[in-house]
Amino acid sequence: MKATVVEGVEVGTTLPPMTMRFTREHLVRYAGASTDFNPIHYSEYFAGRVGLPGVIAHGMLTMGTALRIVTNWVGDPGRVISYGVRFTRPVVVPDDADGVEVEFRGSVSAVDGSLVTVSIEAISDGQKVLGAARAEVDLGVRVPHRDHEA
Amino acid sequence: MAITEAHAGRRYPPTDPYHVSAAKIAEFATALGDDNPRYRGDSPIAPPTFAAVISSRAWQQLFTDPELELSVERIVHGDQRFTFVRPLRPGDIVIATARIDRVRLRAGSELISATVDISADTELICTAQATFSHAREAAA
Repeated sequence: MKATVVEGVEVGTTLPPMTMRFTREHLVRYAGASTDFNPIHYSEYFAGRVGLPGVIAHGMLTMGTALRIVTNWVGDPGRVISYGVRFTRPVVVPDDADGVEVEFRGSVSAVDGSLVTVSIEAISDGQKVLGAARAEVDLGVRVPHRDHEA
Repeated sequence: MAITEAHAGRRYPPTDPYHVSAAKIAEFATALGDDNPRYRGDSPIAPPTFAAVISSRAWQQLFTDPELELSVERIVHGDQRFTFVRPLRPGDIVIATARIDRVRLRAGSELISATVDISADTELICTAQATFSHAREAAA
């Protein structure tokens, strides 16, 4: 297992960013894996009927993908103790080979003993698609605080 | 009658037991494009948001509750928060129990906040708190 990142973690520490591309294939795959078969995630007809500009990604696909920025960083996903987001904008996925790009960024927004809070941004087409996205991870060991290192 | 603020506190019976499997965990991780080795191999754990697969079974009970008169196709997921006691693992047999925490009436829509507890026997594994927006009229 990959070692957890502890050294030098402090408020403002940035996590390696990640860019993902969602195509219709991703939506079909996520629908099957998650058992969320809402047709707005595969059918223009049903998406249009509820006033959407097109087929949209599952909010939970965006949420689950965004957390990878944190789990890639800590190595062990079992260290995630809470995770919350607001779904601020739908991610429209065109029916073509390119799909849509979503950019994920994360930075440490709080450190309390071994508990580290990461704030996550997810941006597609210049707009934030997640709001108030925060994951709390327990690094298992007390993060050395700068003031105490001297 | 339709959903009102008075439905806060409404509780649903536990869902049928869900058997967590290594195959489903791997399938879910693949759907997220996630090659984290903890999701595969001899003793995998589930990706944290796999909890939605189980809580959605409880949400369905709420969405299809005739008392609330909701149209499933007009429900949008507004926010989602998970609190984990421990990761889900293959072999876990879990149930999901939903309750409505709060209903707020807006012009043309209702905001429904609900909590789902995911547990195995009496052990709480994860809590999923969600807010759903239900549009009362079909979009023009």
